[in-house]
Amino acid sequence: MKHEKKFSIEKQQAKWGFAFTIPCLLFFAVFSFYPIISAFITSLTNRDAIKRTWDFIGLDNYVYLFTQSNGGFSLINSLKATGIFTIGTFIPMVVVSLILAVMIMQLRKPGQSKMFELAFYTPAVLSSVVAATIWMILFQPTGLFNQLSNFVMRSSGRDFQWLTNDNMLRISTIIVYFWKYIGYFTILFITGLASIPPTIYEAAIVDGSSRWHTFWKITLPLLKPTIMLVSIMAMLQCLKTFSTQYMFVQGGTAREPIDVITMNIYYTGVVNRRLGRSSAMSIILFVIMLFFTFLQFKTQKGDEDVEY
Amino acid sequence: MKKALVLLLCLVMTLTSVFAQGASEPKADEPITLEFWTHEDSARQVLEERYIEEFKQLHPNVTVNVTRQSAEKLRELIQTAFASGEGPSFFNLPIENEFQYIEAGRVAPADYKTLGFKDAKDLLANYQDGMIDAVYYDGDVYGLPLELTNWSIFLNKKVFRDAGLDPEKDYPKTWEEMKEVSKKIVIRDGDIITRRGFDFRYSYELTYFIPMVEQLGGSLSEKDGCVNKEAWVKALTFMKEWGPQGENLGNPTLTAARKLFNKDNNDIAMCNTGLYQEARILSDNAAFYNSGEWMVVPYPVFEDAVKDVAGCYYGHFYMVNADKPKAEQQMAWELIKYFLLTEGHAEEYLTQVGLIQPTKALMEGATYAAQPYSEVFKNDFARSHIVYYGKGATEIQSAINSAIKQVMLQGTDPSVAYDALQKNVLEILAD
Amino acid sequence: MNNNKFVGKVGVGEVITYIVLILVLIFTILPLVFMVTAAFMDAKQIMSMPYTWIPSKKYFTSESRTFFTNFQKAILGNHGEKIFFTNLLNSLVVALTCSITTVLMASLCGYGLAKFNFKGKTLVFMLIMSTMMIPFEAIMIPLYLVASKFKLINTIPGLIIPFLVSAFGVFQMRQYLLTFPSEYLDAARVDGLGEFKIYYKIVLPNSTPVIATLGILSFRNQWDNLLWPLLCSQAEKMKTVPLYISKFAEEKQTDEGALMACALLASIPMFILFFSLSKYFLGGAAVYESRKG
Repeated sequence: MKHEKKFSIEKQQAKWGFAFTIPCLLFFAVFSFYPIISAFITSLTNRDAIKRTWDFIGLDNYVYLFTQSNGGFSLINSLKATGIFTIGTFIPMVVVSLILAVMIMQLRKPGQSKMFELAFYTPAVLSSVVAATIWMILFQPTGLFNQLSNFVMRSSGRDFQWLTNDNMLRISTIIVYFWKYIGYFTILFITGLASIPPTIYEAAIVDGSSRWHTFWKITLPLLKPTIMLVSIMAMLQCLKTFSTQYMFVQGGTAREPIDVITMNIYYTGVVNRRLGRSSAMSIILFVIMLFFTFLQFKTQKGDEDVEY
Repeated sequence: MKKALVLLLCLVMTLTSVFAQGASEPKADEPITLEFWTHEDSARQVLEERYIEEFKQLHPNVTVNVTRQSAEKLRELIQTAFASGEGPSFFNLPIENEFQYIEAGRVAPADYKTLGFKDAKDLLANYQDGMIDAVYYDGDVYGLPLELTNWSIFLNKKVFRDAGLDPEKDYPKTWEEMKEVSKKIVIRDGDIITRRGFDFRYSYELTYFIPMVEQLGGSLSEKDGCVNKEAWVKALTFMKEWGPQGENLGNPTLTAARKLFNKDNNDIAMCNTGLYQEARILSDNAAFYNSGEWMVVPYPVFEDAVKDVAGCYYGHFYMVNADKPKAEQQMAWELIKYFLLTEGHAEEYLTQVGLIQPTKALMEGATYAAQPYSEVFKNDFARSHIVYYGKGATEIQSAINSAIKQVMLQGTDPSVAYDALQKNVLEILAD
Repeated sequence: MNNNKFVGKVGVGEVITYIVLILVLIFTILPLVFMVTAAFMDAKQIMSMPYTWIPSKKYFTSESRTFFTNFQKAILGNHGEKIFFTNLLNSLVVALTCSITTVLMASLCGYGLAKFNFKGKTLVFMLIMSTMMIPFEAIMIPLYLVASKFKLINTIPGLIIPFLVSAFGVFQMRQYLLTFPSEYLDAARVDGLGEFKIYYKIVLPNSTPVIATLGILSFRNQWDNLLWPLLCSQAEKMKTVPLYISKFAEEKQTDEGALMACALLASIPMFILFFSLSKYFLGGAAVYESRKG
């Protein structure tokens, strides 16, 4: 404690700053780091949920996952399913929600924009269980969505196989997700758009640029940080998707086409007892997500200082 | 930077060591709390709640906490609990999920003295020959059966007549007839099915599908996986023809047939389920139950069957957690005994819940005989065997389920589907 | 789009905007309308083709009372225990507690990260951020182990404690507070206010918009949580609403009408919250505007 006298105000403050972060650090240590370290250790074993003993088997689980079929539900298939779902969801979601946000911002009556915002956002407040329950009924061959599809396609009595056909099933899960989160992402973009100083637009209008031109040359570049942030959030969320697929499979659909990694982790570990193998899958998912986040940080580095 | 890292590491280490310590054992003379985990069944709940109340009067020091879950959640929950070294005092699961607990030594052998038997042999003698062999392991019995259930075919006579069929004469005896009858009953709007003749009980393939394979000469074995490709392909082909890629008579994504059956809404004619369905029809739709417009017929066979096999029977057994203190284990057996072995309880389980305990006394008694269509179930019992409960049962079931969905929904060639299935099953078994 | 320059104020562009917005509106609202209408029908009408939208009058007569039986079934469950309200209360308690603790802990941590310089700050930040990448499924079983050692299984604290704070919350608070004018803080220090006092007298009150948004977000996340309660709450009376529904959905006598009634009932608290606090739900914009102001 001899140094105490030397403590400048900054050092005092540094202490306070660190102290403020301690509750959270402690929390994450117990409820995130400890479990993930424990999961990593488990991934090196052949641990079974019920058996009393297990052995360390090195990287065998990882080798197995990349070479074997895991009883018909291979990791490779899961990576594919997750990839299809993620790309099929987050790109349209980002594009459409951006367009919707721009459209809503252009409405001149605040009452109208408020109404659209509310309506688009409402599905997001439902719980995923409720959402999946509703859509499972809508997607039945006799359900409303199939009727609407017949109406739109001007056909009659056609079963669009929303839940039975492989690709349709994938699309169905994407639709549910899209429906639930489109409003949420639209609002995020509206936030971003609202933060662009109106003076910039005014200047553009004085310059006589068209709306399209303004959007393309001014709005979009200024919105880039928001777009990056929203994209990465949407992507990470899609990579972690679970409940829609889980509820669908519980409802009797095929598992393979929509066997996303999280679901495979759940089935392998919790249902099929193979804790070691399922932990290895968890670690792989963790690494994938870390990689994408890292990539995002890298590409965003240059933009970080942009603030308005 | 380093400091923070060191601190964090220290934290993680301390926590690890804290969690590594086991829970302390409660003393034997203290009041006993029994954790009882079981699956949802409203009729049984009413009955067992009464038993528990009565039991508590006899043993005032005992508290019983009951946890009820849907069958599927229960299996997952119990596994997770056992994985973390916790778990209920006693529980029940279907034997194909429960056998692994015996193998892994996680459940205790029966407390014969408490249950009122001399030994394992004496206990086994109380039951129909061979019917509870699944829980007889290394010279001990590890569970007491709550129910042994097989599935026959429930049939709605009104729907049959509505389709111009005579239920008494035209009910399907073979799978081929099942298809023909269903074709006559099914109503569609375009491709969309609005009324089905029959539909399978998907995701219980070990119970309904394996017997179909066996009828054709195939089998599922712990050693060789899916034996006899020809038989498997034939059975898979039948499923393919059943689904939307074939005759479009049903598929796994539609509402489960047995759920629709009770409502009598003219949307399903037949379903595959057990004797307990009778109690459920009565509680859901007493008018339909009393109308006598339903009946039960035997499990069909293929026309060119080489073996007469009915749907497998499965069992739910009450088992006791071997990790619990001795006093708690003993009290758990005491309660199980009160549930199952008390005079008249087996009959109540049968009449009020529709559950069959395979005791000699019950199955040869008057109460069983008086239960509607019990004869059909009894005959089907005689030509069936217990469900596969060996290695990887759960995983093999999902693999078969997946193969069936492939041929039915995606139109995969049955032979290709079989090859993939066999590869997966062998891989599961080799693990 | 080429002719955009020539388009007047109420031109093609605007018409297209409205058409697109209204189509999306229909897409988002239709399933909700379906849920509400189907809650008053019996299974047969719900699955009849074409869907009729308006519940048949006969459901409201005193004999059939389908509208009533649907909700009755939804509330009573299948055993008539009225456990629904207990479960609803659990959900509310868990979600509310989590949103309060998230706000408190995240703002404290976010403040520490945004406005102080200390060794290892970047590391602390990165560590916390990295937890966002941990899928819950990955740590589910170790977490169960922790919870069962602390005797938290089947308790309300067990449902709450693993979600006391979220990394995203810390991130959001930090981002917001980065732009918080440091002059205020320095002025307060000159006035002799202690660091902790500064936090709750100046930082907290001045962060209301972001606090509200964050609080609501974590409320919603907990309201929606399925996987952890699935493992952690085993006793009926400890369950939460999503568990109640998923169990109800699997039950034998459940028909679509009762299921939709159940879904509707379960959503009502969120709807009330949403429509009364919509400013904060849609609050991103408000956050930035208030900062500018």
